[in-house]
Amino acid sequence: MATTGTSSSPRRTGISAAAPPPRRVADSSKNSTRAFNVVCGVVLGVFAILWLIPSFWAIKTSLTPNSVSAVGAEEILRYGGLTFEPYANILRGGAIWDWYLASFFTSVVTTLLTVVTASMSGYALSRLQFRGRNLVFLLMLAGIMIPSQVLVVPIFQMLDAVSLLNTYWAVILPQVPYVIAVFVFKQFFDGLPKELEESARIDGAGFWRIYRSIIMPLSKPVISAMAILTFVNVWNNLLLPLFVVANPELMTIPVGLATVQGSFGQRYSDIQASSILGALPLVILFLLFQRRIVEGVAGTGLKG
Amino acid sequence: MSAPAITKPGAAVNGPPRKDRLRAGDTKPAWLFLAPFALFYVLFLIWPTVYMVIASFFNTSIVQEGFGSFTGFGNYQEMLTRPEFWSAMWHTLQFTLYTTPPLVVLSFVFAILANRVRRGQALFRLAFFVPFILPSAAIALIWNFIYTPASGLLAVVQGWFGVEAPSPVLGTPSIAMIGIAITTVWWTIGFNFILYLAGLQDIPRELYEAAALDGASPWQQIRWITIPMLSRTTTLVILLQIIASLKIFDQVYLMTGGGPGISTEVALGLITTSAFTDFRVGAASAASVLLFIVIVIIAVLRQLIDRAQERRA
Amino acid sequence: MAGVAGTQLAPGTVTFWNLFGGGDGARLQLMLEEYEQQHGGSDALQAATFAWGNPYYTKVSLATLGDKPPDVAVAHATRATNLARAGLLTEITDEMLASVGLSSADFTPKVWESTVMDGKAYAVPLDTHPFVLFYNKAVCRDAGLLDANDELVPIQGTEQWEAALTAAKEVTGAYGASVATVSETATPWRFFQTLYSQRNGSTPFLSDGGTELTFDEALVADTLAYMQSLTASGLMPQATDYAGSQTLMFTGQSAFYLQGEWEITTAQSVEGLEFGMVPVPTLFDQPACQADSHAFVLPTMERSPEQLELAMGFVKSMLDQSLAWAEGGHVPAYLPALRSPEYAAMEPQSDYAEAADYAVYDAPAWYSGSGSNFENIVGAQIGLVMQGIASPEEAIASMRSQLGTYARTADPLS
Repeated sequence: MATTGTSSSPRRTGISAAAPPPRRVADSSKNSTRAFNVVCGVVLGVFAILWLIPSFWAIKTSLTPNSVSAVGAEEILRYGGLTFEPYANILRGGAIWDWYLASFFTSVVTTLLTVVTASMSGYALSRLQFRGRNLVFLLMLAGIMIPSQVLVVPIFQMLDAVSLLNTYWAVILPQVPYVIAVFVFKQFFDGLPKELEESARIDGAGFWRIYRSIIMPLSKPVISAMAILTFVNVWNNLLLPLFVVANPELMTIPVGLATVQGSFGQRYSDIQASSILGALPLVILFLLFQRRIVEGVAGTGLKG
Repeated sequence: MSAPAITKPGAAVNGPPRKDRLRAGDTKPAWLFLAPFALFYVLFLIWPTVYMVIASFFNTSIVQEGFGSFTGFGNYQEMLTRPEFWSAMWHTLQFTLYTTPPLVVLSFVFAILANRVRRGQALFRLAFFVPFILPSAAIALIWNFIYTPASGLLAVVQGWFGVEAPSPVLGTPSIAMIGIAITTVWWTIGFNFILYLAGLQDIPRELYEAAALDGASPWQQIRWITIPMLSRTTTLVILLQIIASLKIFDQVYLMTGGGPGISTEVALGLITTSAFTDFRVGAASAASVLLFIVIVIIAVLRQLIDRAQERRA
Repeated sequence: MAGVAGTQLAPGTVTFWNLFGGGDGARLQLMLEEYEQQHGGSDALQAATFAWGNPYYTKVSLATLGDKPPDVAVAHATRATNLARAGLLTEITDEMLASVGLSSADFTPKVWESTVMDGKAYAVPLDTHPFVLFYNKAVCRDAGLLDANDELVPIQGTEQWEAALTAAKEVTGAYGASVATVSETATPWRFFQTLYSQRNGSTPFLSDGGTELTFDEALVADTLAYMQSLTASGLMPQATDYAGSQTLMFTGQSAFYLQGEWEITTAQSVEGLEFGMVPVPTLFDQPACQADSHAFVLPTMERSPEQLELAMGFVKSMLDQSLAWAEGGHVPAYLPALRSPEYAAMEPQSDYAEAADYAVYDAPAWYSGSGSNFENIVGAQIGLVMQGIASPEEAIASMRSQLGTYARTADPLS
């Protein structure tokens, strides 16, 4: 749903935060440069710690009994023990398993549908010549600019008309047209050598076979980048599932977390534990696919 | 150039097909390849847009069949003369003004610093970037707790610094939006951070080396090489931030519900309340169309600026 | 895969949505456990609690539109009629009532009537929850406001009220009475509506289903000015939020505290607090207090006779536990409970039960009712007046302008 970038060059895989500082500099400025870099490191370290405080605070609270956290922040700081009771409360409560299921199912199915349909379109735009190609191109470009969040009301009305409200499909289907993915795929395909395809065509292979057995196997980097981005987008979407799904057992993680606050009252530790459990799958995803995620985000403008 | 991955539209938006590849027989398979995505595109982007425009001229209700009675520009007239609508637009702008400068400046500084430091990259990415990929709801739960009046972490820290009975951040009309803005900066800075880091990668190292040979201090290098070379990324970051701000919903819904009163109500909040609480799809559609127009104008502007910069580069 | 193929619960499970947090939530939990015990364990019931107000009603409405509503839901009487007009509720027929041994005659007539629309009933009322006056006995004793039985000496008219507050203020050194004015819309509205309705010549705020603003402007201005004078003179705090207004009374910094009776649970949990509860004194011409009722509604859905029976059985079980509910402060709407000797013996619950007789409900409109846009708009302005930020005239002008938008709007429900 979040499409604010225009295009990407997926072949650039060199985005890494760890750029070595200039090395071969004049001797005279070497020392001052080194000193400057140390200052940079210290300043950044302070900011990094500042930035980690909210997360640590949530973790600390989630490992503190509800009775302590209800008293206030000072009491939480003073509490020296460690309890997993809040996590047990949330996991035993059961609702979070429904949310996990909903989030996994909707994210995985949307990702599959988006990757398959967008890569097929990207392939057509990259390799096939046909009348109306320019028009399709323009429409796609326009599609990038459509703010899908603003369409939540008409989308709700449509889903209501076809009785899809309160199903996973209400969350999945509207999020499939992730227009930017088409461009990302097209651009990647543009960069693939044509020789393999041409020899396959001479052997009589159709476009479908070329797409499936030549293009796609060569496109693993872009497929995984797009898959992860779509997955994260769908997992984190609040607006759409908040209104098209009303039943607690169908809620995704964000919607579930959003409704938790009201009914949990003063059980602050439980609330923080639920927040951490809701965020956990994405933290794991990040640790597993750090580079792909960073590249994908830099490449498409995930922000939405 | 900076943030090449995003700002190199030339590759994607290439012009008419090259003649040598034109094959007449491609048309049918091409449409078959396009059809699945096109179906979703038309159903969930084009048709809702059309529906929104149509419904904005009717008294459409969520609990009534069909579009309801025709009202012409009545819904638009209502929205444009309604103080709540303008206040929602103002809060949206306010949010943009509060979040854009820190998000641009801080992420720029963080990226420059990170680029000069050899160790701790993993820590920086963890600290600055991970919040960005977490659900807004988890972020809001964490920050609502920090902002808890009287007993929350913020109030306690304020107490250490001698602030007696600090105003509850999210409960005070004049500062609630600032509270939301701080949370947003914390949450989304990682995005800009990554864009700037990518931009920094693209600055040829030779430039720095030449400058260093000429005796330029690190600060002079930043001032005369880095900042100008990152200007395109900065334009991009600002425009993306404005577009994202116009669509703000999650943080407000989760942290203040638009309150106290309507002091933090934003455009999408007004739209969803009109539609799903008041059941007034027609009025909500009119407000949606107005917001839609504003966002599209800025998105087009962004494309134009992008092109202009592309040509200049 | 509930979301793919439709929700499949074990037959015999009742799904129930409610909006009860805090003390109400805890008490409800006990009642639900009782139901589960009587019906073979935790499979018998699936309950979900949402934050009250508009978000809750939005969820109920959208679930019903999406064909997956709960079997039974709680709604305020003032909101139930709107849900019914939107076609979201099943009519409660005499046969349905009779199937679990109930009839409309089993309920307080005033409450029952509040849920009837065009001669059809759409809700089974559980209670009435009036806005009442809490008092701190220790403070009032010192201020000489209690009688020989340690009960509050009845207060009548503004002069006695101000005298009592002044006497109390001398004891507390802080305030005489407290009511929430900050971060709150419902409470200021409830306080205002109580006082306004006590006056001769007060007209309903809205009429004709909300298309007309019919409040008596002079009387509203005068009432607001009176409320402002109470905070301006320091007898009541200008700026305190929901929790803060409670704490003032609990900690003896104020003798009186105005809020819905449900806060009895919170007050009881304060160690060493001696308190009493009475109807809000008649400061003006006639007794009156703002109130609403919680009721059970059956959202529109295809129901088999068995499902209907289950739903009604659940409602009946909750009504049978009306006394447990009354412990939490609410005045039962179910007459067998209201008239029981057990209820009469409940202290301080029975001391303010009469308030239900002169309860004033919010004027009907598609945008009014408990936690509605109407209360949010009007309550926010009243809060500003009490904080001394807005003058009564400014507040009225702002209310007129904001409510005007809704009044001019074609009713989206019909």
